[in-house]
Amino acid sequence: MTPEISALLGRMEGAGYIADPTIATAVFLAREMRRPLLIEGDAGVGKTEIAKVMARLLDTELIRLQCYEGLDVATSLYEWNYQRQMLRLRMAEHEGKDAGEIEDLIFGRAYLLERPLLRAITRREGAPVLLIDEVDRADDGFEAFLLELLSDFQVTIPELGTLRAEHVPYVILTSNRSREIGDALRRRCLYLYIDHPSLEKEVRILRARVPDAGARLAGEIARFVQALRQRRLTKTPGVAESIDWAQALVRLHRDHLDREVVEATLGCVVKDHQDIHDLSGDAIDAVLAAAR
Amino acid sequence: MTSDLVVHVARFGRALRRHGVPVGLSDAADGLSALTLIDVGDRDEVRRALRVSLKIQPRDAATFEALFARLWEGRIEVPAAPRDVEPFRRGTQLPPRGSRSSDRDVAVGDEPGYSPAAVLRRKPFDECTPQDLAAMERLMRQIALRLATRPSRRLVPTLAGRGTIDLRRSVRRALRSGGEFLSMARRTRAIERPRLVVLADTSGSMDPHARFLMAFVRAIKRVAPGTEVFAFNTALVRLRTLRRLDADVPEWSAGTRIGECLAEFADRYLDAHVDARTVVLILSDGLDRGDVEPLADAMRRIHARARRVLWLNPLAGDRRYEPTARAMAAALPYVDRLLPAHNLASLEHILWAFR
Repeated sequence: MTPEISALLGRMEGAGYIADPTIATAVFLAREMRRPLLIEGDAGVGKTEIAKVMARLLDTELIRLQCYEGLDVATSLYEWNYQRQMLRLRMAEHEGKDAGEIEDLIFGRAYLLERPLLRAITRREGAPVLLIDEVDRADDGFEAFLLELLSDFQVTIPELGTLRAEHVPYVILTSNRSREIGDALRRRCLYLYIDHPSLEKEVRILRARVPDAGARLAGEIARFVQALRQRRLTKTPGVAESIDWAQALVRLHRDHLDREVVEATLGCVVKDHQDIHDLSGDAIDAVLAAAR
Repeated sequence: MTSDLVVHVARFGRALRRHGVPVGLSDAADGLSALTLIDVGDRDEVRRALRVSLKIQPRDAATFEALFARLWEGRIEVPAAPRDVEPFRRGTQLPPRGSRSSDRDVAVGDEPGYSPAAVLRRKPFDECTPQDLAAMERLMRQIALRLATRPSRRLVPTLAGRGTIDLRRSVRRALRSGGEFLSMARRTRAIERPRLVVLADTSGSMDPHARFLMAFVRAIKRVAPGTEVFAFNTALVRLRTLRRLDADVPEWSAGTRIGECLAEFADRYLDAHVDARTVVLILSDGLDRGDVEPLADAMRRIHARARRVLWLNPLAGDRRYEPTARAMAAALPYVDRLLPAHNLASLEHILWAFR
């Protein structure tokens, strides 16, 4: 293995993220090739965490853009500060400035509200990590805009002109695959698919993230959740759920699983009414048996 | 970078393409630059780096792994047998030019008079003549148009008076009039066209209604050309042209295997054709003697992904009808609305169900 990659693997682990060689290779290549990294996988497998740990390792700022249907330029890129502009307009009337002067005044950088994408481009103190989260939720139009931004790392604001990136940010995009990401955007990025972790890896993640959980509890939780993933659930629990559950059980001072505590805390891992209903009674005993 | 490596990556990319994995030249170039950064002597690392840089998706992972195992290192051979292409994809073509105009002739054909329209709306489909059908097309088109549009969250500028205030444009206007806000610019929601996927049952029991429902689907397709249509009875077929319906569908009017067909749809088409903006319309009477387990499972998967699942059932128009057919009962928990579809008035009900 390339020494840099194994070193990165170790450093990610030191920062609390249990990676595997594939993840470390992807992060290494994205950093070296300076390409955006598109990460896909089920909810809760740790896609967003990669951006966080990357920012920590690079000792830089994490700038996050949460995507949703209807996301537009005003919330993702920039917006003018209208209240300040209007106040300034009123003042300018009394100062007797002409229209051209006023326009230059109120469409200056001081009146610009930076949203995440602009902030990522204009950050002066070095390249930040830009996390574009759940890009599959935004609409096609936004995706096209994003493609343009990720190609040139520059933005044109009609009133101000073109702003070029001071430092090209490290970009992580995540997707839950609720929609196919367009081919062009996919091509622009490197690609990483994260699956649910193996049992051994999940135990290590639990031990690292919830140190107070003993070996027995961590092992039982991991086996229980792995057994759950074999069942056809509406919402398959991810590692994020395992961690939540481990934290809850530590708070309850439990060092192992039994039926009573599982029934009381099942909502930490299984977050769908129908799934909880399907898991009542004998089904829980079956999963518990697999966990022991 | 050795020229050997260049040749290797290019050949590997070509082999992937031949097996249906979309790897372009730019991807191969990415693969190459990735390999310059890593230890090419470590086979596993090469494999991981290529998966990342060639952007291999999970559905192609098995093909990639197999080809990598076979082709990487020395034993380069271009595989002979390409992966099977979906047969109907290869076979179907765009409809001939003439077909469009004849469609339009039907659409604008005999204008229904003022009172016949009301009658037509209540007339059960199985009693309609081809003339009735032609007259209905116009009504169907109106319904389809309303079905295929809805307000988006995106805001677009409007002319004076409508919508909410658009501050950005208002400030610019005020500048033009010396800082005075004489009129406020406004904006409102854009009209969005949701994607539609239609799954039509063409089994024998649907025969009296199928012609009609297909006319309805055609009307939808005309206002929302992106609509994907699938027909099923004992097998599932993706329809590219609606005119050749009976030719494309195997065993026309034979029995139904709803569960298997929907499961096939979920396996093969769900990821690519259904997303959070997609409305799935299922046209079926739900009469099926098959196993209900695969049906419930397929419906669960479709429902989890789509924005809405609407089930149009010609039998539901009968007041005595209870959705107790086993298949219907199994699917019901995953259907947002079960709607009657025995006449045009009932089709109009889809509208309120849709908002």
